[in-house]
Amino acid sequence: MTQVIEIEGLRKTFHSVRRGRRVAVDGFDLLVEAGQVHGFLGPNGSGKTTTLRALLGLVRADDGRMRVLGANAPEQLPRVAGRVGAIVESPQFFGNFTAHRTLRLLALAGGVPVTRVDEVLEQVGLHDRGHERVKGYSLGMKQRLAVASALLKRPELLILDEPANGLDPAGIREMRDLMRSLAANGVTVLVSSHILAEIQLICDHVTIISRGRRVAAGRVDEVLAGFDRDECLVRADDLARAEELLLAAGLTVTGHADHLVVSGVPDPATVSRTLGEQGVWVRELTPLRPDLESVFLELTGAPAQPGVPRQVDGWAPHHDPAADRVIDLDIRGVDA
Amino acid sequence: MNLIRAEVERLAARRFVQLMVVLLVLAFGVTAATTLASSHQPTAVELAEAQRQAAEVRRGLELEHERCLARDRGELPDRDYYSHLPADCSQLDPALRDYQPVTADFLSGVFTFTRQAEPLLYFLVAFLMLFGFLVGASYIGADLNSGGVVNLLLWRPRRLTVLGAKLGTLLGAVLGLSLLASAAYLVTFWVIAQVVGYPGPTNAAFWAELGAIWGRGLVLVLLVTAGGFAIATMGRHTSAALGAVAAYLVLWELGGRIVLQILEVARPDQLMLASYVAAWLAGTMTFWDSSGCNFGNCNGSYTVTWGPALAVLLLLTAGLTAAAFAVFRRRDLT
Repeated sequence: MTQVIEIEGLRKTFHSVRRGRRVAVDGFDLLVEAGQVHGFLGPNGSGKTTTLRALLGLVRADDGRMRVLGANAPEQLPRVAGRVGAIVESPQFFGNFTAHRTLRLLALAGGVPVTRVDEVLEQVGLHDRGHERVKGYSLGMKQRLAVASALLKRPELLILDEPANGLDPAGIREMRDLMRSLAANGVTVLVSSHILAEIQLICDHVTIISRGRRVAAGRVDEVLAGFDRDECLVRADDLARAEELLLAAGLTVTGHADHLVVSGVPDPATVSRTLGEQGVWVRELTPLRPDLESVFLELTGAPAQPGVPRQVDGWAPHHDPAADRVIDLDIRGVDA
Repeated sequence: MNLIRAEVERLAARRFVQLMVVLLVLAFGVTAATTLASSHQPTAVELAEAQRQAAEVRRGLELEHERCLARDRGELPDRDYYSHLPADCSQLDPALRDYQPVTADFLSGVFTFTRQAEPLLYFLVAFLMLFGFLVGASYIGADLNSGGVVNLLLWRPRRLTVLGAKLGTLLGAVLGLSLLASAAYLVTFWVIAQVVGYPGPTNAAFWAELGAIWGRGLVLVLLVTAGGFAIATMGRHTSAALGAVAAYLVLWELGGRIVLQILEVARPDQLMLASYVAAWLAGTMTFWDSSGCNFGNCNGSYTVTWGPALAVLLLLTAGLTAAAFAVFRRRDLT
């Protein structure tokens, strides 16, 4: 498969007189192949936006190799800029300009026919409000405008940083449909988001970054499968007896008030057979599959602790075992 | 070319630019209206009287010079009576005087173009300098702040080209507006003088001098515009340029001048940017420095001419602009 984005060993440290030295990205790798809808996940401050900014030439990388559509970034970016649409972090526009004028100026600067402006405004649902000043727009409308600016040049590669930010549920669904239709038309999409359920719905591949490093990459289903502990939830009339029987069968059981969680059961039929043969009838047997949220939280070490405000992803002095765990299913394409 | 077109449109669409143009037109209108209302065309009698008075004063000056020369030749009987005359008679020579009394000096309530054109032009240049500086600083400052530059760089990832296009567009637009405004300004006041005032005696020397001030003024407007743009680029904000200029004026032009005087540093005006601005605009500027004088028995005056003044202003602007491009080329746009 053709590689559309390649990042190897990206490093970036910010230096500030007030805040000192802060490592934002620390040897990060990313691989996006043509036609993928690739999710880019990470907690706040994990280095997502810095990575995208470095890729787009807005931030100077300290080290590493980056290529976009076969061109070395940032040196050869001008060669491929016309084929890359991007929005990075919260989109900001000049408030006194209308959406139409904003896009028209970009189209002019980029040599895109200005007739595209109305098309993309229609595409993102801003057609009727395209002649209003941007300062009157809601965050969601600004987000739509940002996406419109990225679509203006009919990109082959679309890089979207938090595109669902500020969108209402209907807007999120529209954004999802838009990305799907773009992907169906052959556009490669790299999308970063905090809405993990959305990523799971939209993306076929995912890369997870934590503390500036890649901690997981690959097809979404394969990344999830890597965290599948073959667990199932069991409810039965006599929970104590059921637990006893399952333990006796050599299974790992965690007891809860009204159910049991059995681990290490690739086939749930094992549970129903074990209990049924001893006259304990199963009322509920549900396989527990990991979702992206649980994987994300496990990999990034981010589950909330009661009463402890969670900190953004920085360089804490303590050792984080999750940071050492790297699930990499995407080394040169596991699905190739 | 597309980038330039987009930048021209972006600049023209900016509210601040539109506001400044309205202010320019307003200031122009108020000045013209006030002049129009307070001036009248001199009658033949007024004109004749003014011509007579001017001729009388000129004659008086010539007589005084003649007396001085006669004193030197020993032709005056009562030397004490003429003790007010200077030792050097060339100081009284009408041919060597900077200014000759003219008819317009004796016309009351009459707008005289030849007398007023120069101060009017200085006022316009000052306004255009303010316009250029503020528009230059806010154009890039607001764009850096609002994410406009980042958006543009996502489309045209050539930093120096983008910044160069912005600066070029800005300078072109300011020059175009300055040319139009100053031409309209001078023509309007020329017409006012023709209709309800007195044009005054114009000759090639007058137009050449006015043209020189105009040309130097336009150069200064462009230098100030580029300076405002460069400082705002380095500071990322419009306010950086305003702050830098305010700090310079207060700390150096005021505070520094006092310190230099206390320390009795020779020729402190040579260390002030304002001296070079004034010298460039006026063509030459004479300053006084008494630090080397004992008992007041010396001529401490010295002049700064337009040549060195231009060199200083060009070097400063070029340095600021080069620094702005160098900083912008390497800056992380976060």
